[in-house]
Amino acid sequence: MGIEMNDRGPFDIPDIGPVVGSEFAEISVNVDSEANSTRLRLEDLRTGRVRYLDPLELETIIWLADGHLTELLDPSADRWRDRS
Amino acid sequence: MPTVINPDAVPKSLVSELIRPSQVHGSLYTDPAIFAEELTKIWFKTWVFVGHESEVPEPNDYVRKQMATQDVVMTRDRDGDIHLLINRCAHRGLQVCDDQKGNSSSFRCPYHGWTYRNSGELLGYPYNKGYGGKGRLELGMGKVPRVESYRGFVFGSMADDGPSLLEHLGAATGEIDRLAGLSPKGEVSLDAGWLPHKTRANWKFLAENETDGYHPQFVHGSIFGVTGSPIGALYSDASTAVTRALGNGHSENDLRPEFRKFAEPMRWFGTTPERVPNYVAAMREAYGEDAERRMIEGAPHVMIFPNLFIAEIQVFNIQPNAANECISYATAVQLRGGAELNRRMISQSIGSVGPAGMLLADDTEMYERNQQGVSMLDPEWLDVRRGLVRETTDEDGFTIGAATDETGMRGFWKQYRALMEA
Repeated sequence: MGIEMNDRGPFDIPDIGPVVGSEFAEISVNVDSEANSTRLRLEDLRTGRVRYLDPLELETIIWLADGHLTELLDPSADRWRDRS
Repeated sequence: MPTVINPDAVPKSLVSELIRPSQVHGSLYTDPAIFAEELTKIWFKTWVFVGHESEVPEPNDYVRKQMATQDVVMTRDRDGDIHLLINRCAHRGLQVCDDQKGNSSSFRCPYHGWTYRNSGELLGYPYNKGYGGKGRLELGMGKVPRVESYRGFVFGSMADDGPSLLEHLGAATGEIDRLAGLSPKGEVSLDAGWLPHKTRANWKFLAENETDGYHPQFVHGSIFGVTGSPIGALYSDASTAVTRALGNGHSENDLRPEFRKFAEPMRWFGTTPERVPNYVAAMREAYGEDAERRMIEGAPHVMIFPNLFIAEIQVFNIQPNAANECISYATAVQLRGGAELNRRMISQSIGSVGPAGMLLADDTEMYERNQQGVSMLDPEWLDVRRGLVRETTDEDGFTIGAATDETGMRGFWKQYRALMEA
C-alpha cells in the first residue's frame, strides 16, 4: 500500500485514520485499544509495516537525545543495512 | 620595487565596452555569454535575496527557493538557524526535495535512500558495506556558504568571503526599517504565499523598471483610470517625489515629499484612519507621536540590487533562468499586528500582481516587448540619460533626480559594471 499526497494534511482517511505525512514519509497514527491498555498504532503507509508503541516507549522517544534520534535516521542503522 | 601589472593579463569583462554613462548596449540583455558572466560575478558572488524567515517559522520547516539557476532549500534547523542547501544529492545529483515546502528534520533522496540532516550533513546511506562501512563518506548537500538575515529578509552569497550583508545593503537597510516600522510590532512577515510569474525577458529589465517613474502613467494608465487611483500623479513633472540612487546599485522612488504635502495618515495606502481604526490605534500605542509621521510617509518603493523589490504593499523576488527568461515571485507584505491592513494588502496584491492582476500584466507586456526589441539590429543602444541634466546630490550625498528620471537605472548600471569588472 502506498499513498501519495500532494497537499499535506491534516488528513483523516476512512479506515486509515489520521495521517502525518511529508514528501519523505506517510504514517497513519491511531490510538489502539485492542490490548489491555491503550497504545499507539503507527503504520507506514508506503510499506504497510506496523509498529505499536506503548506509553513507556512513547515517553522514551520524547526524551531521546537529539543525537540518538539522529543516529536512528541513518538509513543503514536498521532498515537498509548489509546483513552478514 | 613597484609591481608591474600587465593589463592584458587581466581578463576583460564582456560588458566593458557595452555600458556608457547614458547608454547601454542591447546585447547586455540577449547574449548568453554575458548571462554566464553575470551568474559568476553577480548571482554567485554578491548577496542575493532568497526569502524571509517567516516562511519557515517552526523548527524543521523548509521551503524550496531559487537562487538564479540554483534550486535551493531554505531550512530552519532544530536550533532555529537558517540554512540554504543546494537541492542536489551528493551521490548521483538527484533533487532531494520535491515538495515546495514541508517540515522534516532530515531529507531522504528517493533514488538510493541517502539521508541528510536539514542542515545539509550526510546522516547515512543504505547497505553501507559497499562504502567500507558507516561514516566512511564525508559528502553532504551543497550549502550556500554565507547566509544572513536583515529584519527577517534572508540573503545568501555563494562566495566564501566578500562584503558583509550590511555593507552590501548600505542605505537600503533604512528602507527595510521603514517598512518594518509600519508594523505596530516592528516586524514584517512574507508568509502569504509567493506567486511565480515567468517572464520571457532578461532580469535586468525588471530591475531597471522597478524604480522607473517615467512609465507608470503610460503602462498603468488603464488601471489608474478604472480605479481612480492617485498613483499616477506621484510620477509626473508636477510631483515633488524624487528618484534616489542609494549606492551599491540600490535605488528608490521616494514618495514621501508628496505624502508630507498632504499630511494625511494612510493616504499612501489609499485609505483613511477611519477605515482601519484598529491598525491606527495599534500604531499610536506602539509609536506615540511618531505614529502619525509613519502613517503619513508610508512604505518604501525600493529596488535592492540585484533582485529584491519592495513595492509598498508587496515584495518581489526576481530570479533569472537564462538571458531571455526570468521569474518574478510576488507576495503581499504582512505587518505583524496589522491584521486589518494585511487582509487589504492581500486583496490589493491579488488585484495588482495576482494571476489576473493588472499591474504585473501591464509591466510584463512591456518587458517581453523590450526583449523582442533588443534582438533587433538597429539602433543597438538603449538610452538611460533621462534626468542627467538636472541630477543633484542630497544632504546625505546620494544622487537624486526628479520623480520620472532614470537616476535609479544609472545607479544600477554603475554597480553592475563594478561587479562585472571586479
